[in-house]
Amino acid sequence: MEAIKQNLIDKLSVEQIKIELMRTAFGRQSTFLSRFDPRILIIWYSFFAIAPWFIHNKFILLGLLVPIVALTLSSKVSPLVLIIMGIGLISEISYILLGSLLFGGSLASFWPLMTLTLKILLISLASIAVFSSMDPEKLSDALLSLGMPAQFSFGVSYGYRMLPILIEEYHNIIHSFRLRGRSPQRKGIFGWRSLVYLATISVRAFYPLILNTAKRTRTTVEALEVRGFTYSLVSPDAKKLKLAYLRIRPLDFVFLGCSLCYMIALAVAGQHFSL
Amino acid sequence: MTSALKRRYELTQSQKLMVFILAMSLYGISNMFSELIPELKLGPIEIKVEYFAFIPLTLCILFNPLYAALGASFGEIIFGELLLGQFGGLGELEKFIEFSLAMYVAGLLVSDPRNRKQLALASFVAVGIDQMLGTIVDVGKVWFGIEEFEAVPGLPESILLIEGLSFLNAMIITGIFFSLLPTLFLVPRLYGKIEPLLGMKPRDSRVPLSLGQLMTPRLLITGICFFFLAVVAEFLAESDINFAVWEPEFIEQYGSGYMWVSIGAAALVLLATVAFAMRSKAKTAQKPGDIKL
Repeated sequence: MEAIKQNLIDKLSVEQIKIELMRTAFGRQSTFLSRFDPRILIIWYSFFAIAPWFIHNKFILLGLLVPIVALTLSSKVSPLVLIIMGIGLISEISYILLGSLLFGGSLASFWPLMTLTLKILLISLASIAVFSSMDPEKLSDALLSLGMPAQFSFGVSYGYRMLPILIEEYHNIIHSFRLRGRSPQRKGIFGWRSLVYLATISVRAFYPLILNTAKRTRTTVEALEVRGFTYSLVSPDAKKLKLAYLRIRPLDFVFLGCSLCYMIALAVAGQHFSL
Repeated sequence: MTSALKRRYELTQSQKLMVFILAMSLYGISNMFSELIPELKLGPIEIKVEYFAFIPLTLCILFNPLYAALGASFGEIIFGELLLGQFGGLGELEKFIEFSLAMYVAGLLVSDPRNRKQLALASFVAVGIDQMLGTIVDVGKVWFGIEEFEAVPGLPESILLIEGLSFLNAMIITGIFFSLLPTLFLVPRLYGKIEPLLGMKPRDSRVPLSLGQLMTPRLLITGICFFFLAVVAEFLAESDINFAVWEPEFIEQYGSGYMWVSIGAAALVLLATVAFAMRSKAKTAQKPGDIKL
């Protein structure tokens, strides 16, 4: 038991979280979904982000879940992301269940709630599968070519790249605060003194972080300006050159076609079976 | 005078980008941490840190509020949702709009970053607007399904109670500990120090802005429109929870396709109108000699 507990603590340490996030942001292996054109993937995903809300038949929803789970497994998602998603889902279910039981509802009202949970699960799994198998560079270029403002599409790739560095820095600042500061000698009831101490540190650590990030942001933006970033935002030629490598191949149409056939088959089958 | 006042708030393209990126990365990382903080549950009432409101708020106060607010909401979507795989589709639109609106208005309220009273007011306004809009949407969700709940007396009231309590809880925990105190700590320290790092002048306090000047009809109308849009988006996203027992009947009456089409069309028209109004406003504001880069 002790060993399991220790193992769990090791898994949940900040260091581990950092490594997992690094892997999410950088370690993209070639997965099944990463072979396709990012624009096709975005279109495919936007269907799966919206369509489940309109489907009320649990048979169809479960049918959709099967390929999406398979795709998620094929895209080698980091366990941390899955754990966080699981915690979110469980807390959501228990909260709704508690609410419906407390206020005179019965288990009968729980069944429709499961539909909602299923929908949320579908959408989150689709988003994990698509976004974890897409390179941030590709994602931002796809957004650009779909007509998003260039600032936004740049923000996406910048955010993905910057996040691990920021987490690292925040972690270091917290470390140095703890090295130089003194933690409370008595913990108080429920350890509230140490909680307050940690919360204060975590807020104070943002002061150096904000200043450092401001410096780094300026460096980034000025480097971009040297490369003519603002000009390339408005110049169609520059945009064309940047996006020239994006190409929709027959494989993408096969993928879309297969998905479409599967959806139609499900919809037809859903007419006969409804859960 | 007016032209000087206008020019003071004008930023170059790269400065706008800097503010946007700064808000995005900082709020994004804080959002990641606040997602990981466990929450304490007492029955249906959750005690939790909603978000680290002080970061976008500080940036909205120190820099141009619009770009800081947009950047922060965008950072939340990228880091808190996409990277963690919690993207909720349509429902995210509600959060995005409410949060940017709240931060923008709060940032506008502060004319002097050294004035502690204004800072305190802004930090409560920011959390207050965001949570209040969220509460209205939540209560509205139940209110729409109210006829179906006559069998269970007192249910609508209990929802009001829960929502009221969670609003209070958010105002106390998020509003005081993660908005008021950190803002009072951070803003005076950062003011005058961080702006040179981005190559800007501090927002100075010499030109006073009255409340009447801030609450322009344009801001109010845009705010209301966006809030309406947020409500529609949230209803679309949530129309399947138990409160929507009303829905099957609704579908029988009109057919579900009809409902989506009409709501979607309304939202589209609204969005297009707002976009058009803003663009035409921006065009008239632009001087003919300006080089657009």
